[in-house]
Amino acid sequence: MTAVRSILGKELRDAVRSRWLLAFAATFALIALALAVVQEQGDVGAQGFNRTTASLINLCLMLVPLLALILGAGAIAGERDRGTLATLLAQPLSATQLLIGKYLGLTIAVWMAIALGFGMAGVLLALVRPVADFGHYLLFIVLSSALASAMLSIGMVISVLSDGRAKALAIAVLAWFALVLFYDLAAIGLALSVTSSGQSLLLTALLNPVESVRILAILSLEPDLHVLGPVGAYLHLELGTLRSVVLLTGAVLAWAVAPLAVGAMLFRRQDV
Amino acid sequence: MLSVRAVSKRYGKSIVLDSATFELQPGEVLATVGSNGAGKSTLIKAVIGLIRFDGDVSVDGIDVRRHGREARARIGYLPQNPAFHTDLNVRETVTFFAQLRGAAASATRSAVEAVGLAEHAEKQVRALSGGMRQRLALAIAQLGDPPLLMLDEPATGLDVAARLELRQFIHEQRALGKAILLSTHWLDDVPSIADRVIVLDEGRTTFDGPAAAFATRAVARSLLYVRLNGHSGEAIPLIQATGGDVTRSGDWLAITCPANHKAHVMETLLGAGITILDFRVEEAAAPSAPGPLPGGTQ
Repeated sequence: MTAVRSILGKELRDAVRSRWLLAFAATFALIALALAVVQEQGDVGAQGFNRTTASLINLCLMLVPLLALILGAGAIAGERDRGTLATLLAQPLSATQLLIGKYLGLTIAVWMAIALGFGMAGVLLALVRPVADFGHYLLFIVLSSALASAMLSIGMVISVLSDGRAKALAIAVLAWFALVLFYDLAAIGLALSVTSSGQSLLLTALLNPVESVRILAILSLEPDLHVLGPVGAYLHLELGTLRSVVLLTGAVLAWAVAPLAVGAMLFRRQDV
Repeated sequence: MLSVRAVSKRYGKSIVLDSATFELQPGEVLATVGSNGAGKSTLIKAVIGLIRFDGDVSVDGIDVRRHGREARARIGYLPQNPAFHTDLNVRETVTFFAQLRGAAASATRSAVEAVGLAEHAEKQVRALSGGMRQRLALAIAQLGDPPLLMLDEPATGLDVAARLELRQFIHEQRALGKAILLSTHWLDDVPSIADRVIVLDEGRTTFDGPAAAFATRAVARSLLYVRLNGHSGEAIPLIQATGGDVTRSGDWLAITCPANHKAHVMETLLGAGITILDFRVEEAAAPSAPGPLPGGTQ
């Protein structure tokens, strides 16, 4: 555990020193505040945080995966590029410990950026708005953090499989395109071209953490899920809110753990 | 301290290490010698557990493959090209590795002082010279006082003074009872620092015996480059008569000869009235095999 703690600590220190943590926190805060201001100037209603939250969801479903995939992809491949991987693994440290230490360090750093950025924006908004819907906003922060964990895990596998940082980053961006942009289109195409059951559409959502988080976020705002069409109807009618939440949360957690486990298995078998 | 049994490593059909077998005792220095690509670094990486291999390696009775972390806690490793996180300073780097090795916090300062980097402790690693990085790597290799030191081409890139310091360091560590496995492709280093020598040639062990026996037979060779004043054709048979191997490259002749015959080659050329316009001397890489040796394993 000491070795994992040392690696974790170094990742956190690196995140603070390189200032990316602060830069992303500031970016998240600015985005949340800008959206709130835009809405304030438009159709002013009594929706408070819900409106801001709803607007932020789609933006964060794009930004957070990109950030997490890129950070994860650089984790091991970067050490390989610098030649420091052999120096690290020549110590009393296993490949699995190195991977887990880096993953936990990056995960906590991204959580901090999300919590700090959206947290600061939330506090500022709460000063000028009613705070009745703050719970939804907090839940959105938790979901964004969970999505970051899952995407970091996928990024770590990419990193293990890549022989250099540039290659890892390229694959990470491709993965982002596939999971965030094309997956939605492919799912819509599937729904239109074949007679898909609600079950198969749900499976499609579970196979992508971005989709699972999207549904969970919508579920928190609109529990009847009508906005999601057949998938929403299936979840609402067949599973109910609680079981849907458990299933989708389980899927996101599985995405946070399974790729990392696969990455550790592959990493252990590699020559340095 | 270190037991290596039938260790082999292959990449596809290519065998880079073929059934290496030896034992290393506390207080003993073993040098692996061979040209580039002979398998020296592969052997060290196998012992540390950085690569998968066939065969068995144990450190202090601990199987490297099954209990890699425990085995590595007993190994101090000096890589051929030490690489560190360049955004950290010297003190932070040593502290980080001390934590990884479970060494006491007080060990950080003494390790930095021991290699003469105390006054550079706050300097960023990126600002260190190659020699200083080597010292930093040496400081890290000693953290936790490991009983086995693995030095991969430790003399590469060092100036004469640093090389002498390195020899002194190895002598001191041996006196402390440390077992030392080092790789080198320069024969000059071997007789003065090693007790035993293993010669590797394309992964195969072609010699395993005492350093003294190795030194008497494996004569160090030099690579001598001379630029002559248009008399190459006349010079070549003269050089060959001294026992040197000659190849021509433009205006230059490349002569491989025993290190202690360099002056004789030059004298021969000058004695024959051949003008030498320029010359350069390099140490030649280790031969693939030093020939049969009494007491050695062939």
